[in-house]
Amino acid sequence: MSLANQHVQPALTHSRPGLNADATVSRVAKALSEAAGLLRAPQRVFPLAGRLASDALRVTFEQRHLYSYTTTKRATGDALKSVLGWILDAQRPDGGIAAFYSLLSGYSESYPEVTGYIVPTLYDLSHSTHDEDATLAAERATRWLLSLQMPSGAFPAGLHRNRPQPSVFNTGQVLQGLVRAYKETNRSEIREAAIAAGDWLVDAQQTDGSWSGPGAYQGVAHTYYGMVAWALAELSAAAGKDRRDKDRRDNDRYGLAAERNLDWVLLHFRSSGWIDGINLRGHPSYLHFIAYVLQGVLECAVLRKREDAVQAVAKSARVLLRKFEINKFLPGAYEPDFKGSRKFACLTGNAQMSCVWLRLFEVSHDLRYLNAAMKMNEMLKQLLPAQGGRGTVGGVSGSYPVWGAYQPLRYISWGCKFFADALMLEQNLMLRFEASACAS
Amino acid sequence: MRVVILCSSLYSETSCAMAVRLAQLGYVPTGAVTLPTLDLRTLMRKLGQWGVHEIVRYARTKLISHNSSDAQLRNPYLQQLLKHKTGSVRSLREVAACYSFPIVTCRNQNAPDSIAQLNEWSPDVIVFTGGNILQEPLLRAPRLGVLNLHLGLLPEIRGMSSPEWSLLNDVPVGVTVHYIDVGIDTGPILRRCEFPDAAQCVSLDDLRNRLIAFGIEKVGEVVAAVDRGRILAEPQPELDEDNQYFVMHERLQAQAALRLKQGHGAAAAARSHG
Repeated sequence: MSLANQHVQPALTHSRPGLNADATVSRVAKALSEAAGLLRAPQRVFPLAGRLASDALRVTFEQRHLYSYTTTKRATGDALKSVLGWILDAQRPDGGIAAFYSLLSGYSESYPEVTGYIVPTLYDLSHSTHDEDATLAAERATRWLLSLQMPSGAFPAGLHRNRPQPSVFNTGQVLQGLVRAYKETNRSEIREAAIAAGDWLVDAQQTDGSWSGPGAYQGVAHTYYGMVAWALAELSAAAGKDRRDKDRRDNDRYGLAAERNLDWVLLHFRSSGWIDGINLRGHPSYLHFIAYVLQGVLECAVLRKREDAVQAVAKSARVLLRKFEINKFLPGAYEPDFKGSRKFACLTGNAQMSCVWLRLFEVSHDLRYLNAAMKMNEMLKQLLPAQGGRGTVGGVSGSYPVWGAYQPLRYISWGCKFFADALMLEQNLMLRFEASACAS
Repeated sequence: MRVVILCSSLYSETSCAMAVRLAQLGYVPTGAVTLPTLDLRTLMRKLGQWGVHEIVRYARTKLISHNSSDAQLRNPYLQQLLKHKTGSVRSLREVAACYSFPIVTCRNQNAPDSIAQLNEWSPDVIVFTGGNILQEPLLRAPRLGVLNLHLGLLPEIRGMSSPEWSLLNDVPVGVTVHYIDVGIDTGPILRRCEFPDAAQCVSLDDLRNRLIAFGIEKVGEVVAAVDRGRILAEPQPELDEDNQYFVMHERLQAQAALRLKQGHGAAAAARSHG
């Protein structure tokens, strides 16, 4: 998630004229305050200079073209351990996961939203790397999340330090973690917290299936809240296991709410594959948000068996696949209809697209998705720092080059989450594919 | 019939073999347009494709070795076409000297000077053996069209790594001779031929090399048939989905190689024959 967006109070920004000017002032103030971190810890100048120099060199000499792709000798298992190490280091004493490690100011405070949806990744990493620390980290994170839940069932917006305000998006993202934590532990208090969050989300939903109003960022509806629909579909699937078939049909309020949102989001897919309604005033349409829409809709569609939604996602995903294959690069932000040629990459968005392509391979068996995802993962592995101190080694930077527009000069926890997801998914699918090839 | 060849480099074995085969059939090229061999972008692209070791080996063989008999062809199946009194033909210049046709070098085959040269030669057919992605003005230069040899069956497998994708998708391995249009491998088809010897190939490189040699023969036959008015180009059918493929990742290539060893190429061909 774009932290720069989330901490702004929606009620303040919704109707004020001069919003862009305010946002710019706020961004400059934040940048100055982050830069001041360098004065407090001047030793950070060395890793900062190192990363700036290495990205400058790489950008100058790299050759990307139709005929080749980036390769690295780094094994996926090694990269996964490295990313897990970054996430474990980013866990704060309270149990929450920091939003980012800034090359200027160090770790941020715990971030509820990412802490929520990093929980499934931690459990997956635990199973994949057999590292018990990942399970312990997931349990600590879950305990912290439970302590944050508001009486309404909602979870707060922004960083932990901020005045708590209920947030639809964060509640959805935390719900992802709660559902998985319940599946792993079978603990009733986690189930109750998940149900309360789900109930709050269903009650807050508009009749058209969207979420707008005070709980929504900038007060308006966003298509990337398809991620919330995915979380509700997960809750529906988990809750449904305890019920008989008839009850399931009659009481599937979470699943039906998920599908209402799915229908609303699908209205925003253009024939070009572009998705309207990301609606982030003052920010470009970063690949991260486009990929959120695609991931949310796809996962929700798979859970709800909605082939129409799978096809809509596949169309958009193919547009981006083609762009990636031709240029071996996806710009970090786009104008409508995927126009634009920004010179930086949003690495989180890249990792998310890898996840989308891999899941599309899983449902369609079209090997082109697997092919593109493997190349994307190779590129991301190559950019993963293998050496350095805490906060940098194993971290996924917001942008490549690191000074790009999306989360500049930061290693971000949600980037690590999506990259780990992509690597584990590739590992599993490739093993299955190779095994089936051998068997045949 | 006036035939012009477009080449990616003076040292392209495929281009040399194509020129020789056409000349053997009585269609000595009116001329050839080639990209510069020492172009930095091409060099970087080849580095990406082949790797440093192979580039050095290739440069030593093509540029330094003065004894033609030392020269090893990257594609041994072109030996028959490229054999020379003293060994193998090493460059298009030698072919051109042998059959007396001019060669023009340009930085971009779509550039106005290249188009002007082509118009001056007024070809009936251009045979594309490598170079740039061709644009509309160049495609309009020949009277009949620009021919391409595609190493896969169209319209099923368009784009790159076609033999490998054919193997993984259980589509028979083969070649297609087609006219180029503004799309990627979407132009009208002149001939589609399944490759009968896939089961004998020992590796993907071997398969690709054999397909090129097989395809050069087919292009020769098509040019002769076009000349005699015995062939009609058929537009490709509109497809529901995008059939374009891109460079295959090495782990998938390994799977394609496995399929080749397991005889899937032959099996797919057998299936398609019913």
